Amino acid sequence: MIPAELNDAAFIVIQLQPDEHDDIKALRDTLRHFAVFDDTASTQVRAHAQHAATALSLILLGGSDDPGALLAQASEAIDAAIKVAEQASRGEPRITKTDLIAIVHDAGDAGALSAAMDAPVEPPARPTALASVEPQPVAPTTVAPSIAVAASSAVSAPVIVHATFADGGMVPDDADLSLLGDFIAESRDSMAGAEAALLELEANPDDIEAVNTVFRAFHTVKGTAAFMGLDRLAEFAHHAESLLSRVRDRELPYTQAVANLSLRSNDVLGEFLVAVEASVQSQQPIALPSDYAALMHDLLNVDAVVAGVETRAVVQSATASDLPSATPMPSPSEPEPSIDAAARSSVSRAGAKTEADLSVRVRTDRLDRLIDMVGELVIAQSMIAADPAVANSGQHELVKKVSQAGKIMRELQDLSMSMRMVPLKSTFQKLTRLVRDVALKAGKVVELVTDGEETELDRNMVDAIADPLVHMVRNAVDHGVEGPSERERAGKPRAGRVKLAAFQQGGSVIVELRDDGRGLNRERILAKAIEKGLVSPSQLLTDSEINGLIFAPGFSTAETVTDISGRGVGMDVVRRNIESIRGRIDIHSVLGQGTTFQIRLPLTLAVTDGMLVRVGAERYVVPLTSISLSFRPEPGMLSTIPPGGEVVMLRGEVLPVVRLHQLFGIPGAVTNPSDGILMIVGDGAYRVALLVDQLLGQQQVVAKALGEGVGEVPGISGGAILSDGRVGLIIDIARMTQIARTGDARPTGLSQAA
Amino acid sequence: MASTVDRTTSLGGKYLTFFLAGEEYGVEILRVQEIISMMPVTRVPRTPPYIRGVINLRGKVIPIMDLREKFGMPPATEPEQVMIVVQVDGVQIGVVADKVSEVASIPSEDIDPTPDFGADFHTEFLLGLGKSNGRLRLLLDIERVLSTDEVAAITSMPALAQAT
Repeated sequence: MIPAELNDAAFIVIQLQPDEHDDIKALRDTLRHFAVFDDTASTQVRAHAQHAATALSLILLGGSDDPGALLAQASEAIDAAIKVAEQASRGEPRITKTDLIAIVHDAGDAGALSAAMDAPVEPPARPTALASVEPQPVAPTTVAPSIAVAASSAVSAPVIVHATFADGGMVPDDADLSLLGDFIAESRDSMAGAEAALLELEANPDDIEAVNTVFRAFHTVKGTAAFMGLDRLAEFAHHAESLLSRVRDRELPYTQAVANLSLRSNDVLGEFLVAVEASVQSQQPIALPSDYAALMHDLLNVDAVVAGVETRAVVQSATASDLPSATPMPSPSEPEPSIDAAARSSVSRAGAKTEADLSVRVRTDRLDRLIDMVGELVIAQSMIAADPAVANSGQHELVKKVSQAGKIMRELQDLSMSMRMVPLKSTFQKLTRLVRDVALKAGKVVELVTDGEETELDRNMVDAIADPLVHMVRNAVDHGVEGPSERERAGKPRAGRVKLAAFQQGGSVIVELRDDGRGLNRERILAKAIEKGLVSPSQLLTDSEINGLIFAPGFSTAETVTDISGRGVGMDVVRRNIESIRGRIDIHSVLGQGTTFQIRLPLTLAVTDGMLVRVGAERYVVPLTSISLSFRPEPGMLSTIPPGGEVVMLRGEVLPVVRLHQLFGIPGAVTNPSDGILMIVGDGAYRVALLVDQLLGQQQVVAKALGEGVGEVPGISGGAILSDGRVGLIIDIARMTQIARTGDARPTGLSQAA
Repeated sequence: MASTVDRTTSLGGKYLTFFLAGEEYGVEILRVQEIISMMPVTRVPRTPPYIRGVINLRGKVIPIMDLREKFGMPPATEPEQVMIVVQVDGVQIGVVADKVSEVASIPSEDIDPTPDFGADFHTEFLLGLGKSNGRLRLLLDIERVLSTDEVAAITSMPALAQAT
């Protein structure tokens, strides 16, 4: 079957004029997306589509004197893609073989075809040297359905198959399949992000932020692949990352040649992921992506490639021959596949569902909307139920039906809210494994203790902190915890201890990573930051400001770059990800004793069990977790301490009384505590008795931000829609007690929180 | 004044006009998301007086601003009727109005720059004065009324003094 994108593209491209840049860009993006992400199409079809996209990009870049010719070229490439796709569908059921025909046709190696068809699993004998190849012009339209024609339009492409790289190795036996599925799904997201950034770079080559994005994507794939034991993939990602690292450090200008290398790297990583998935299915070694060997070679010889000394054949179609030769043009015939690899990866595409397919990813804004709508539905229903026309109708059947509908709606609400909430357990489990492996690699003994893994967090927050936690845990084990002998010299137990804890505190969820390692060396951090030009030597910095320097992009104190850590992207990513979900990260470190990272996340959308209370005419929600006890005090329990302090004595404990109406300036509230209710709130360290008028009942609420127009309100963590449709404010007990104690409305620092 | 004159030349267009304290104001129609009738507003403690509070707009919590307070006018004698929800840079805010008047097309030539009354008058919130059909309308620079600087000022304001 011919992919719809291609049919559309073919239709659009013939109507395009070379100056219709918007339309060209749209078509280019469609094609590129298809080329990179459509797993159902064969490599060959995708390569043609990529070629068409590249031709369109060149028009957009304005580098050609004859954009019309490029347009024609794109059109031809699309036709070629369609033809190959047609062939593939005609050749069923053995898609493999048809793919092979297409591939071998482009390789121009008819001999290899029969070899491959006879024994597709065995890699055909190939020259291992980098063949010197004469560039030969070829028109992409010469793709033909028969082998005879294919052979006659032979293209010489370089054959670069390293004997040792015949395949990508096996997926390690002990690999956790669900982890692998997550890894693939997450890496695909990273690749998509990198792809977008690369496209952005094309328009704006100086966009260092985009370079960083791509770099981080490659870095993350590298790190996780290394951890999963996918050495070949990690190695490749390492080289791709190095390329971007040089761009980032402005060692290498982002030229068209570099752009091509980066895009190809992104493509190959994508194909690698497909191959890894396939390998898990087939229990065969991982098939190397078709462009792998050639690209690896180019990445190892970046300078030569950039200098325009093409070690590969630059294949230009006849119609594009007037292009400046310094613009290398990836062409459909460029990838030189190792036959068995291509065969296997196409088998895999026909394969069954894999781990990554078992879950459906839903856009969070849709989910948010759903939750909002369900909330509205519940409120609307309770309005109907409370309407006198229903409630006082005396129609028992009707009342029963309405309440039945209400029950269903509340269940629906619970369900919709639970869709977003996941426990941190699986995130923590991955880290347990990570600690073991990293410790092993680094020759250390490390014990990981986890606490509070049942703490639930909004799904997108869990996603957003997963990567940072991987980096942080890796850092803690690799850099934080010392080796056993060093620890012994310092008088510590041989085994290092890394503690990962999660808990709710007030309106926040806190994820804490604590190690008992060597702590941050502030002198070294400062020296490094000055060396890197992040701060000037004359600047005076506080300890926490110096700690904060480790979050600066490009900062790394590690002496050697390993495949575990030390590129200096880690902490940069960490802070960015956490800030993107409006969280905050704090560091507390004592030299020689260890480092604590505290991630404080807001509870946006986290479901809160709250107690609805009334103060004057206002209603507030107090998180149930903060309340130890509520009672109506007897006058004898209360005392006044001059000059204006009030305390209540409860079971021998003396607690300060905080009048909520006073703190929040609410008129018309109960002023005599004996007429109201005192709630004992706060954490173990500091508790107060909060005076409210009345308890209205327990309610599960969804915390919502108060809206950017209001910003952060001290003592209020958010708003919740109450059953009558009005907004009730959720009290941030930690901040509220702090304000009551100090009268200080500044944000909490780590020192107070710790 | 040159820049103000330049600005008024491109100001022609459609405005939603509304009454506030006896005057007719206008806000660019493209900024207006919807008009809702007055509903109970939840007061938010420790915010400046011109933040009336928050409401539930179909499941979303949005703040409500009191322009009377913002412009230093005396409080309303009769209850206001509507809230106009505007959207500026993706931020939704409701502003309270006595009542909505109409959607008026005001051509550029009918818009005068705001005269300078001196420092005590909040003319910086005005784009200009519309004077078509013999009526004077104060065209609000809603972006500036709700500007992020102002919002920042809200959050950094030590509100304890007013609360007690």
